[in-house]
Amino acid sequence: MSTPATLALERFVRHRPAVVSVALIVLLGLGAIFAGRLSPRDPVYIDLTHKFARPLTGGHVLGADELGRDVLSRLLHAGRVSLAVGLAAMAVTVVVGAAVGSVAGYWGGLADTVLLRLTDAMLSFPPIFMLLALAAFVRPSLASMTVIIGVTSWMDVTRLVRSQILTLRERDFVQGARALGARPARILARHLFPNTVGIVAVAATLAVARAILLESYISYLGYGIQPPLASWGNMLNNAQSYFATAPWVAICPGLMITVAVASFNFLGDGLRDALDPRHVRART
Amino acid sequence: MTRISRREVLQILAGGGAAAVLAPGLAHAADTPKRGGQVVVGLSQEPTVFNPLRPHIEVDRGVHFGVFDSLWRTDEKGQFLPNLAVEIPSVKNGGISKNGLEYTVRLRKGVTWHDGKPFTARDVKFTWDLVMNPKFGAYTKVGYDVIAAVETPDDATVRFKLKEPFAPFLTAWGDAWIVPAHVLEGVADPNTAEFNTRSPIGTGPFKFASRVAGDHLVLAANPAYHGGAPPLERVIFKYIPDLTVLYTQFKTGAVDVTGMQGISAEFYGEAKSLPGVALHLHHSPSVEYIYFNHGKPWFKERAVRQALYHAMDKRAIIEQVYYGVPKPIEGYLPSTSWAYNADLPKHEYNAEKARQILDEAGWKLGADGIRAKGGVRLSFTNSTTAGNKLREQTQALLQQNWRAVGVDMQINNMPAAVIWGEFYVKSKFDTLLVGIQASVGDDPDCLNRIHSKYIAAETGSGRNVSQYKNPQVDKLLEDGVREVDRGKRRTIYVKLQATLRSDLAYLPIFSYVRIEGVKQGMLNYKPNSNVLHNTWNMHEWGWRA
Amino acid sequence: MRTYLARRVVQSLVVLFLVSLGGFSVLHLAPGGPIAIYTMSPTMSAEDVERLTRLLGLDQPLHVQYTKWVRGMVTADWGRSYRDGRTVGEVIADRIPATLVLMLSAFVVAIVLGLATGIVSAVRQYSVFDHAMTLGAMVALSIPTFWLGLMGIYVFAELLRVLPPGNIGTIGAPFSLADRLRHLALPAATLGLVMVATWSRYTRASMLEVIGEDYIRTARAKGVAGPVVILKHALKNALLPLVTLAGLQLPLIFSGALVTETVFTWPGMGRLFVDSIGYRDYPVLMGLLILTSVLVVVGNLVTDLLYAAIDPRIRHA
Repeated sequence: MSTPATLALERFVRHRPAVVSVALIVLLGLGAIFAGRLSPRDPVYIDLTHKFARPLTGGHVLGADELGRDVLSRLLHAGRVSLAVGLAAMAVTVVVGAAVGSVAGYWGGLADTVLLRLTDAMLSFPPIFMLLALAAFVRPSLASMTVIIGVTSWMDVTRLVRSQILTLRERDFVQGARALGARPARILARHLFPNTVGIVAVAATLAVARAILLESYISYLGYGIQPPLASWGNMLNNAQSYFATAPWVAICPGLMITVAVASFNFLGDGLRDALDPRHVRART
Repeated sequence: MTRISRREVLQILAGGGAAAVLAPGLAHAADTPKRGGQVVVGLSQEPTVFNPLRPHIEVDRGVHFGVFDSLWRTDEKGQFLPNLAVEIPSVKNGGISKNGLEYTVRLRKGVTWHDGKPFTARDVKFTWDLVMNPKFGAYTKVGYDVIAAVETPDDATVRFKLKEPFAPFLTAWGDAWIVPAHVLEGVADPNTAEFNTRSPIGTGPFKFASRVAGDHLVLAANPAYHGGAPPLERVIFKYIPDLTVLYTQFKTGAVDVTGMQGISAEFYGEAKSLPGVALHLHHSPSVEYIYFNHGKPWFKERAVRQALYHAMDKRAIIEQVYYGVPKPIEGYLPSTSWAYNADLPKHEYNAEKARQILDEAGWKLGADGIRAKGGVRLSFTNSTTAGNKLREQTQALLQQNWRAVGVDMQINNMPAAVIWGEFYVKSKFDTLLVGIQASVGDDPDCLNRIHSKYIAAETGSGRNVSQYKNPQVDKLLEDGVREVDRGKRRTIYVKLQATLRSDLAYLPIFSYVRIEGVKQGMLNYKPNSNVLHNTWNMHEWGWRA
Repeated sequence: MRTYLARRVVQSLVVLFLVSLGGFSVLHLAPGGPIAIYTMSPTMSAEDVERLTRLLGLDQPLHVQYTKWVRGMVTADWGRSYRDGRTVGEVIADRIPATLVLMLSAFVVAIVLGLATGIVSAVRQYSVFDHAMTLGAMVALSIPTFWLGLMGIYVFAELLRVLPPGNIGTIGAPFSLADRLRHLALPAATLGLVMVATWSRYTRASMLEVIGEDYIRTARAKGVAGPVVILKHALKNALLPLVTLAGLQLPLIFSGALVTETVFTWPGMGRLFVDSIGYRDYPVLMGLLILTSVLVVVGNLVTDLLYAAIDPRIRHA
């Protein structure tokens, strides 16, 4: 007997890139968690005799940077930072977005109009402009980056949650619960939220991808994570000057960002296909 | 400002400014360049302020040097060169009155503005009027507010009447660009005149031709220049915000002169062997320091400062991070200064000694590897301008050096617009990694920066951001400003450097050496540490025939 | 229709007000300011710096400054740049052409390539091409734009030396279209690539939906030739959602342009924004914020109206 869950899983498995992505994400996650153990060197250890060491020399698998620090070790530790910011920012995005969306969708009326206008206001800003304006004026740290990225990305989640709740609100089981006198919180928690999980899950994975990308932009421009703490973005901060002398220092972090972001994007794609069969490629 | 007697001023002028002899205008003996051609100067900031009297940053001066003139200029040897003036006023030639209160300047005749109108003494007076106008946001009033009145007995003579003798008057007016009265006097608001941003008109060797905002601006030769038509047809200032890209464009020949900050030390090795390029290594008067905030608990003890100096691998910073380009230094004056003390004790990199000193001073190693004394952990922040690559590397190195002796240094960098605000001025930092140019010109005085009465965090004004207080140093500083005889002054400042070095008020690292890159074949490029921009003599630039 | 329009306009104004308030607060409440750069100047004394602070009105309370700014905005006086004293309008207007050129070229690249690959992918569903395109599109969307730009510069400008590493044209040389196009190639391609991916996917999805519709099958049954079916019937109907896409892309394109301009030293609005942040040039920053918001709001309004005009079912918010 196939439950909706097993059907979803079947559909997911058919989406090959998504499956590969899961594997990649697991690998990245393990790399980040065990960065300490996996790093051949201390990522902040400066050894000027190894300045710009080429890959596979002096014990540096991926070479060394301008201070002789091991690139592989820095890459692993930077992954920790970038992935942490990505996931944490996603959490902020989802929580804020779902909250605003549910209030707007469920209560409607004035609250809806105001919140919708607020969402529009936020969407009117080009994301980088807004991000840069905030990041440049705030003391940069993991926490502040997370908050800034999260606070500028919740709008998509809000729209999704709101429209879903608007649709569900009129359904029989919700009307029934209201008729029985159930409190809004209970209705939201027991009836509405469980039915938005699918949509939110998809939005969440895409939010992680987006957050990692945004963090790299801000750090590249110099307003994000500050050295000596390494993130994939700020390792590219001076990438331009490395191309001539040590291209591997500039290529590796960019590659990691691309792989991570692409994996989360594919995962989101796969989830979308799995959870909503209407989105599966139409058969002629 | 400390009061100086009139006699003292005159003696300073007679002794110090003696180099300001009748020099025949700005014509220097030089290779004769061919006529025509253009030079592209690459700048990592964009010049946008074309009225030289408005607040501006160093990069704007590039344009000012081309479009405007001042009464005289300081050349690379530290001598005054007459520009709009016929000769440098002195007591001997009657230009300076015996009581030091009157300066009479004879102006060059036949000078015209770029729009053809004649330059007269009225323009000089107008310049002073404009700066003193309370509605006009002049960038400085130093050298202007000491003047009681400006008289123009005839078109080619200007007489300044001072309120009190002012020793740096000549230096201050070497920086005073003359603007045209006939253009600016009728303008409703001089702060927002078109002159400032679109059509500056001066008497200089180049006219303002065109500008593409955010990209470049073009200056075209002024054939009627009083110093002779410049050999070049055009000078273009190209804005390239990234230093690496600037260097690449210089490498590929798109840029002829690397302006201002020049070439970053990391490219020096490669730049040395580039064909078709001439590098000028040029001592700049700026010195790189680690500033302590003596108001904070850890730095009150000399022992801590000493230990930090010993634990610092100064040589590695200079040789490895900066590729050996700048010169190590032990004091605040560069070796080119006439008051330089060459006998200061040299830095000794000795981590073991540092640990000893800290142990003896009672800073014991804690369980976390960081020392503590009386409940205070030896943990502080170091700040510098964010985005300065080489400084960030220096900080990383310092962090490692100091960790090895049990000191925890945290890095806290901020953008320039933040760090040099209240954080700096009101002494809110722990330590800074900073480069300071004590003053423009050759004077070793630094009273404003080290004297205990000039702590802005306490009294509201002054530049003693380190909050350093040393009565011995105070006295030396006061004596140095009052003393008139150069020999005696030298003794005072030599002692000052020795005192500051032994007390380690700050940690000196290196004195800047700028690497200025010029395309081969370009003639008469002269680095000059007495001015703030290396385009100061662009009227002499040209290409080899 | 008219009430709809009126309502939307009012709502847009509220949005703009919120945007301005938020932006102004962030800028002014943050530490640091436009005077800080003069602190280290060896030719200006501490008193000079303080005098300038007062002259710019920066020592006045925030609400006074904000009211002054709003009053100025309403009377079309956007203030003057702290850096060079020109009016904000002038400063921004100077930079618009460069950004427009970049955005439009990227757009053209995106539409041409995006539509082409999207259509082919839809028609040849599940082919190798289709799979490769889907994969490629996703990867293209995941590459950091600045990294792509840097790699582009490295490969084409430094290794192969066929394209210039940046700038809008060769310095000091007279205007030449060929020269300008050479300089435009890399930036437009970089900015456009990400958009190609989005356009390709949406075109594909939209086409697939339409292809499955009855009227297409009817046309085919009637014997209409394949390509005609695609181009005449399917594409026309698939374009409608793409109009919305274009509208939604506007803020994203501004963002992408900012990063691209930074990497390629392109003298556009994005570059102006980054520089102004460095100088804390508040008037210019506020001007840019308002301008981009207005453009996006107007863009959305126009898109909505177009939609409403085309599809009578969507007449109310």
